[in-house]
Amino acid sequence: MFVEGFPVSGRRLKLRINEGGAKLLEVKDLNAGYDFLQVLWDVSLHVSEGEFVALIGPNGAGKTTTLRTIAGLLSPMSGEILFKGKPITHLPAHKVSRIGISYISESLNLFPKMTVRENLLLGAYAVRDRKRISESLDFVFDLFPRLAERSSQLAGTLSGGERKMLAIARGMMSNPELLLVDEPSLGLAPKLAQRVFDALQELRRRGVTILLVEQNVNITLEITDRAYVLEQGRIVLEGKSSELSQNEHVKHVYLGI
Amino acid sequence: MERTLTGPSMRSAIWAKIGQNLVASIVIGGSVAAGIALAVLAGPAQLINSIVTGGMWALMSVGLALVFGVMNIPHFAHGESFMVGAYVAYFVFTPLHKYLKTNPNAFLSTMAPFIAILAATLVGFVLGVIIEKLIFYPLRRRTRAQWVMNTFLITVGISFIMTNGATLVLGPNFRGIPRYWDVDPIKFLGVRIAFDRIVAFAIAIVTIAAFWFFLHSTQTGRAIRAVAQDEDGAQMVGIDLNFIHSLTFGLATAMAALAGASLLFMFQAYPTVGLKPLYFAWYVVMLVGLGNIGGAIIGGFIVALLQTATQQFIGIAWEDVIPTIVMILVLLLAPSGIFGSEVKGVHEQ
Repeated sequence: MFVEGFPVSGRRLKLRINEGGAKLLEVKDLNAGYDFLQVLWDVSLHVSEGEFVALIGPNGAGKTTTLRTIAGLLSPMSGEILFKGKPITHLPAHKVSRIGISYISESLNLFPKMTVRENLLLGAYAVRDRKRISESLDFVFDLFPRLAERSSQLAGTLSGGERKMLAIARGMMSNPELLLVDEPSLGLAPKLAQRVFDALQELRRRGVTILLVEQNVNITLEITDRAYVLEQGRIVLEGKSSELSQNEHVKHVYLGI
Repeated sequence: MERTLTGPSMRSAIWAKIGQNLVASIVIGGSVAAGIALAVLAGPAQLINSIVTGGMWALMSVGLALVFGVMNIPHFAHGESFMVGAYVAYFVFTPLHKYLKTNPNAFLSTMAPFIAILAATLVGFVLGVIIEKLIFYPLRRRTRAQWVMNTFLITVGISFIMTNGATLVLGPNFRGIPRYWDVDPIKFLGVRIAFDRIVAFAIAIVTIAAFWFFLHSTQTGRAIRAVAQDEDGAQMVGIDLNFIHSLTFGLATAMAALAGASLLFMFQAYPTVGLKPLYFAWYVVMLVGLGNIGGAIIGGFIVALLQTATQQFIGIAWEDVIPTIVMILVLLLAPSGIFGSEVKGVHEQ
């Protein structure tokens, strides 16, 4: 199942450095689903510290289910999830968030009748230190100056692009070590989608580890270090993103080449 | 993401908006007119009376709106929290009062009612938390299916058990006090108002203001609003739903108990004392929109004004009828209430 080496670009040097990191997240033989409908079948993956990893696959493959299970919103049927080597398999969502995993869902789950600022402050709900909260606010306003302009506007009145930025910013407020991002480009015009991807790359440069689920395979494989391909609830391919983009199956099914 | 509505759907959406604004203007305008009519024709006494009652309806309704908004529970045992508050205040205040008759103490005489009211509030909070942990928490863990209907039936059951339990243990007698403070009525705009009423109104206003501040300016308060707006989102930022649900139910019960205790001199304490406040609180929340906390505060005063105006101009027997008719008309024209519902889950379930 491994994709063996293909000639790749200069990106590789950077990858080597990242590969040295310890495993931050490890998912082992995960089976999960809803009631009696099993969606994930023995899914195993890992994300090392500082890595930018993608999970790609067609609609209904189980990408969102994987993220929801890691985030604790869904309890797995079997398998194991380790974060920094400690099991978090059946931890409820609010505890998963408190140990440093931020999940940014497809539907964003913002608080529409609260201001941008209130949404961000709630992102730091578990943080008690006021100084750290104001530092995080400065950080996300620096990352998304647009949100600073709109800070007293209700989240429900923001545009689609601004809502994505707010969701990412809210996820960053707790200063997480791992960011799980679900389909950030969904419903955005290509230009806005590009800005969201730029923001993710910027976060990664600042040392955040990211597991990204995306339909836009082209850009995803360009910006990530490694990727997993999930089809019908199983991991069918994994490897360096640059190598996967040369893979015949990926080229044929996802890149349309 | 933006959808442009066209054709019939757009027209109906616009009409719904216009309808709601129109109904809101009529109801608010009508209540203001009723208030002015009261002040002019019946003198300021009745107006002041309805403002004092309005404060208490607002306090009751805020709790109801909170429980419905955050937990999606149509709380029909809210009146029994009022009843518990009244009883606790009675059983704390009466012995204190008796003791003070033999041992006069000016400071303690002033404080005794506050001690009774505070005790009732605390008991209300603890009772709310216990009910939530014992009944709603296990149900929530088991299933969220048919949640609104199930919890409606459960709260009606709690109401029955508590009223009959009170009758069984304490008997059907009225227990009351003539007044909390032995102070002469205060003159205001040529009207004599009982000191107790002024204090009850002050308690209502201070509590609502403090609660509003709590909801909007503290992290825990924001977390309560967050749970009302998006449960998954709340969990994703680290909010413990169980904690927020218990806290919400405790606070709502405490507010109802506080209302029952503050109004002990007016309502007395007996097993079914909570029914009337419960009905009026429901008029209020249905009138303004389910789960709308800000609306519930204004609605409390609107319903109190309607009620007093009905008593004054039509007859005391009509005091329940007119608010009900207004509520039915409002719901026909603006189904989500005059200020709109802020509830997420009801339409999905």
